[in-house]
Amino acid sequence: MSIQTIQLCKTYNANSDFPVHAVDHLDLTIQQGEFVAVMGPSGSGKTTLLNMLGGIDTPTSGDAIVDGYNVSKMTEKGKIAFRRDNIGFIFQDYSLLPVLTALENVEFVMQLQGHSEAECRARALALLKKVGLDKHQNKRPAMLSGGQQQRVAVARALAPRPKFVMADEPTANLDANSTAELLDIMQQLNEQEGTTFIFSTHDQRVITRAQRIIVFEDGRLTKDRQNPDYKRHTMSAS
Amino acid sequence: MLIKLAWRNIWRNPLRTLILLGVMIFGLMSVIAMMGLMNSFYSNMINNAIKWQTSHLKIHDSRYPDDPDIHFTVSHLSQLKAELDQQSLVHAWSGRHLVNGMIASARSVRGVTINGIDPLTKVTPLKARITEGEWLNDLGRNPILVSQKTSERLNLRVGSKVVLTFNDDKGALTGGAFRVKGLFKTPSSTMDDNHVYVRKGDLSKLSGIKGVHEVAILLNNPEEAPRFVNTLAQSFAPDIREQWLIRDWQTLNPVLKTMADSAEVFNRVFLLIFVVAMMFGIVNIVLMSVFERTREFGVLMAVGMSKRHIRFLIMLESGLMGVGGTTLGLIGGILLVSYFQSTGMDLSQFGDGLNGLGIDSVLYPSVSFQEYAMAFIAVSLATLLSGLYPAHQILKYNPVDAMSEKH
Ligand SMILES: Nc1ncnc2c1ncn2[C@@H]1O[C@H](COP(=O)(O)OP(=O)(O)OP(=O)(O)O)[C@@H](O)[C@H]1O
Ligand SMILES: [Mg+2]
Repeated sequence: MSIQTIQLCKTYNANSDFPVHAVDHLDLTIQQGEFVAVMGPSGSGKTTLLNMLGGIDTPTSGDAIVDGYNVSKMTEKGKIAFRRDNIGFIFQDYSLLPVLTALENVEFVMQLQGHSEAECRARALALLKKVGLDKHQNKRPAMLSGGQQQRVAVARALAPRPKFVMADEPTANLDANSTAELLDIMQQLNEQEGTTFIFSTHDQRVITRAQRIIVFEDGRLTKDRQNPDYKRHTMSAS
Repeated sequence: MLIKLAWRNIWRNPLRTLILLGVMIFGLMSVIAMMGLMNSFYSNMINNAIKWQTSHLKIHDSRYPDDPDIHFTVSHLSQLKAELDQQSLVHAWSGRHLVNGMIASARSVRGVTINGIDPLTKVTPLKARITEGEWLNDLGRNPILVSQKTSERLNLRVGSKVVLTFNDDKGALTGGAFRVKGLFKTPSSTMDDNHVYVRKGDLSKLSGIKGVHEVAILLNNPEEAPRFVNTLAQSFAPDIREQWLIRDWQTLNPVLKTMADSAEVFNRVFLLIFVVAMMFGIVNIVLMSVFERTREFGVLMAVGMSKRHIRFLIMLESGLMGVGGTTLGLIGGILLVSYFQSTGMDLSQFGDGLNGLGIDSVLYPSVSFQEYAMAFIAVSLATLLSGLYPAHQILKYNPVDAMSEKH
């Protein structure tokens, strides 16, 4: 249950005079349960990598093998089911469905998976409690702060019990407090549920919280190290 | 869950949804009112033509229609009478003595068909259309009924004297003085222009011809007319029936049949045009509402919502709006039609033109259950289908591209 990329490439404008190698012959392995930060300057290819690993973007060449599935070779239909059952997404702008309540947003993908209503409800409530929003379960996103919305998004991503969560700059729109809270929650869920988290960021405070730090430049991996400052989460969430 | 999502999505932009619903309701109400009016227009025209012109069935001497000679009366009349009196399908019948001639007053002269009728006839509802004076009866010498219009042209009043002239059985010019007993007005101006009514006996005396030129029959059910033509013919020996020409109203006036059919075609075409226009409107609105949410659909695709589900969601949205609008529009249409059914739609401002077509100036629109059902199904189906194209457009996106759109 790992992620492995083999000579993974994504090239934009391949046939022009100035092709952009957003991801350039990348070999990378991420183990189940890791808590990985991907950092690098703007335009270095972080988003592109996460999208390819999550199966919402198609590699130009090379393979991305996620939990044994070769994402590069999957059919469109296969990818949709793959994403639904294996990948959770957290987006920079939260991207919750505005017409659904916090609770309904969290339940949504589980319902797509075909779980019973009671099951969806129970897990969604449990997750909302974990992210500290059980009191706001019936509010729509517009009634929640950015930090609260992103916590709902985390709960939504985790609800269908994915093996991997791709979080592209999840804290970019959050203040320091919300950022810390969100990382606590993510780390806690990473430890409790064994879910692999891969998140991109520019934020130094976020990077220090990662277990493993991968640095990108021009689509190439320039550094890949374990974070010596990484502390396993104590059981209490803030 | 998808229904809940679709329902809430519809109300994200309540104004737009309400405008669409309003347009649908208003449009459907107009279409239904129009269909009702068309139906009543044509059925009134047909009914009036049957009432005043063709009856359900007419029997003539087989030579008479081509050559309305005064000698060509309907043969074997007493046998025919006996048969008609015992047929249960026959509501009423009447023998008419017809002569083409002239009516003259002190002021003017006009060519007319002189109808010698039995004052007790129940076939044409002329008795109910007497506007002045009285209906024919046994009293007095040579009474005559003329239309109001003729009375104006000839400057006649009830009690005025007129002279009728025509050729008698020997071809000699004959005539007689008649006194206006009553005036009438029918919905048909042709009828009013060309017909005067006298007692059959009076006319017979002058023309020297016994018998009738035309037997008009009303049935209890107009639909039976074509079949009854055969029934009647079969009841007589070939040598008798060959002397007759028995025709139902559709044969007597083929235009009527065409009209009845064309009302149906007209209504279908009208509905179709409306449905197509409606579809364009809904497709447009759904397209707008879908493309405003391109990002959101990108997210839905990313989190694993299948294309089938997304298409279903969009069709649900357009379908819910459509079925809602159709239902409300239909209810509005039914109310509108039943309102006009009780009050009548007064079209007397177009009265003269309508009378030229033989149509009453107050119409009672009616829409059949089948037509309501057809409208409901056609419009609902169209709105449901209106979701297909926008869905197809949005599903062309892959999640990353959809999410990178501004909307
Ligand atoms: N759709 C596209 N068409 C063309 N070029 C693209 C497209 N998407 C990304 N790129 C290019 O690919 C490179 C990598 O982009 P990417 O978004 O992955 O970088 P990033 O590391 O996420 O940057 P940021 O920190 O700004 O989010 C950039 O040079 C970018 O311009
Ligand atoms: Mg990025």
